[in-house]
Amino acid sequence: MIDEMEPAPKGTDYDLYFGPAHPGSGNFGVKLKVAGEIVVSARADPGYLHRGFEKLMEYRTPIQNAVLSDRLCVLEPLNWNLVHAEAVDELMDIDVPERAKYIRVIMAELSRIQSHIIWYGVFSLGTGFDTGFKMAFGYRDYILDLFELITGGRVYPAGYICPGGVRRDFPNGARDKILKVLDKMGEMIKLEELENPALGARAKGVGILKVKDAIRLGATGPVLRGSGMKTDVRKDELYEIYDRLDFEVPVRKEGDAYARYWIGIEEMKQSIKIIKQALKELPEGEVIDPSWKKPKLSVKIPKGEVYVRNEVARGEAAVYMVGDGGSKPYRCKIRGPDFLHMIPVLEYLLKGAQIADVPAIYWSLNICPADMDR
Amino acid sequence: MVKRSKKAKTMRKLIKAIWIFSWFNSCGFCELVPLVGSRWDMERFGMIIVGTPRHADVLFIAGYQTLKSIKRAKIIYEQMAEPKVVIALGSCTMTGGMYWDSYNTIKRLEDYLPVTMYVPGCPPRPEAVFEACEKIFGHVKELK
Amino acid sequence: MDTKETGLLDEIKSKFKVDGRVQREQRIWISTDGSKLMEVCKWLKDGGFTHLSAISATDWLKDGKYELTYHLWSYDDNILVTVKTKIDRKNPSIDSVVPVWEENAQIHERELHELFGVKFKGNPDLSPLFLEDQEDVHPFRKDFNWREHVREKFYNKENEREAVYYD
Repeated sequence: MIDEMEPAPKGTDYDLYFGPAHPGSGNFGVKLKVAGEIVVSARADPGYLHRGFEKLMEYRTPIQNAVLSDRLCVLEPLNWNLVHAEAVDELMDIDVPERAKYIRVIMAELSRIQSHIIWYGVFSLGTGFDTGFKMAFGYRDYILDLFELITGGRVYPAGYICPGGVRRDFPNGARDKILKVLDKMGEMIKLEELENPALGARAKGVGILKVKDAIRLGATGPVLRGSGMKTDVRKDELYEIYDRLDFEVPVRKEGDAYARYWIGIEEMKQSIKIIKQALKELPEGEVIDPSWKKPKLSVKIPKGEVYVRNEVARGEAAVYMVGDGGSKPYRCKIRGPDFLHMIPVLEYLLKGAQIADVPAIYWSLNICPADMDR
Repeated sequence: MVKRSKKAKTMRKLIKAIWIFSWFNSCGFCELVPLVGSRWDMERFGMIIVGTPRHADVLFIAGYQTLKSIKRAKIIYEQMAEPKVVIALGSCTMTGGMYWDSYNTIKRLEDYLPVTMYVPGCPPRPEAVFEACEKIFGHVKELK
Repeated sequence: MDTKETGLLDEIKSKFKVDGRVQREQRIWISTDGSKLMEVCKWLKDGGFTHLSAISATDWLKDGKYELTYHLWSYDDNILVTVKTKIDRKNPSIDSVVPVWEENAQIHERELHELFGVKFKGNPDLSPLFLEDQEDVHPFRKDFNWREHVREKFYNKENEREAVYYD
């Protein structure tokens, strides 16, 4: 019977679509050309989540845009809220009170910790370490309960950080709860640092990116720091109150998937340090500029333009806003870090890699397809 | 004694656990993946996430769909075996939601797929998703 | 007051004869016309501005022009320089900056070609990025009204749930 079967076809080249319905990938497709076990070339296929955000913002006033800006990237909503609010503050020349600046930084750093927990969880899932995935999503719920106490929503805070300050003050007892949650996070980081040898063997030496290539392809954030360049927008442009806080910026030289994963864990430790310092120095006072206390339905945006840069968990985010005297912004361009990481950097790294290494490289770049398509 | 058809009798004996194929769009990723975690454990009800639509009973459409991704969702629906159920999560699948004036998202899911149940919210809480799954068990028990 | 930003702006003004101003610390805005754009970009890249943050386009419908902006950042000096230029709206086309900033610029120009219709001469790949089977629609232009388009295509006046969108 075996002798009657036809021989296998010659040639080992075929096309493979690593797409959104695959259980190991996000909402994003990559077309791979494979020869044997080695990927010859890759081409990205985005557009599954394109809503046309920039033009939706032209039909809405700044208060309505503050609620819409949570949904730019679902995995870190408060950081994007902060970028948009800073752009409107600078364009309309609003003074933000001191207590509001401290609260903004505390909420943004909590959101950064929550985003890195998700990164740790899905990276372990991609390399076959399932316990890390379940543990990460178990610990993430402490922070979501804290968000619900302070802002009212588990995932989307409904425009908590708005132009002029923040929407409402901390309730009673919030400060002690935040300190308890930070102790739990410290416990989780101690567990994460115990190195699993299988994870190390699958992630070291895979997907190497050198510094010159990283700058040429436009990488920012942990991807650039994993290749050896020491730069962070929080230290280059001292926005909000980052000039009074003391923290470090972790850097590695190797540029492989393991270096980027290690940087994620170190950044969580630095965020805990920042929140403790900010809570100690929190001053009393108002939380919003008095003229913005009652939400205004129609405001007049003066003529001018601004460009605001911030550091979100994935890299450098920026908003370019143009005003022309009406009540709605004339043009609002959003620059996200994932637009560069998922198209040029991924196509460059997947060339020459083995098929079994594709999930480790893909998830080590910390992708968020909603941020790329907007 | 209620008279039931043969199909309903076998379904009542077999329906102990439902297997889900997850087609998570971005908003669904944040509120459906915690269901797998240790706080809201869905394996105690017998629900697990499978990797291929040919094994699944339920298709969760969680989040807004664009013109590009609804074509893929239709192909996945056709590959599933009978009996199958579609659950729509979130307010963006019901009426268009926050993106009602966007040129690229779909506004009414019922034009493309036959929907059994809607779960409102932006995003819906995990307890609401469990209540929806419990109603599926009841829906099958009433089959004639 | 003599700061790093004013010193850099004076150097650019004396070398290339362009307009410019210093908005605040770490922000310089320069306007030029299309013929000098490539020289200014090459000079800035050799002077340390290796990071191209974004390329954007604004549609000024009343003047009949598109305004392109190039935002450049220098890691050594920590300054952001924006170069602005205006092109005609009926047949928009300009030289591409891919020879200067390579793949970083190529993907930004591909997105602008799809959403606004700007042709970049010298870009190796201008195929559609986000939309599938929807050629010849440039959605971000100011004369494409989204609310009317959505009302015609998706909503139904007979449906009682959607009749509210028609008043």
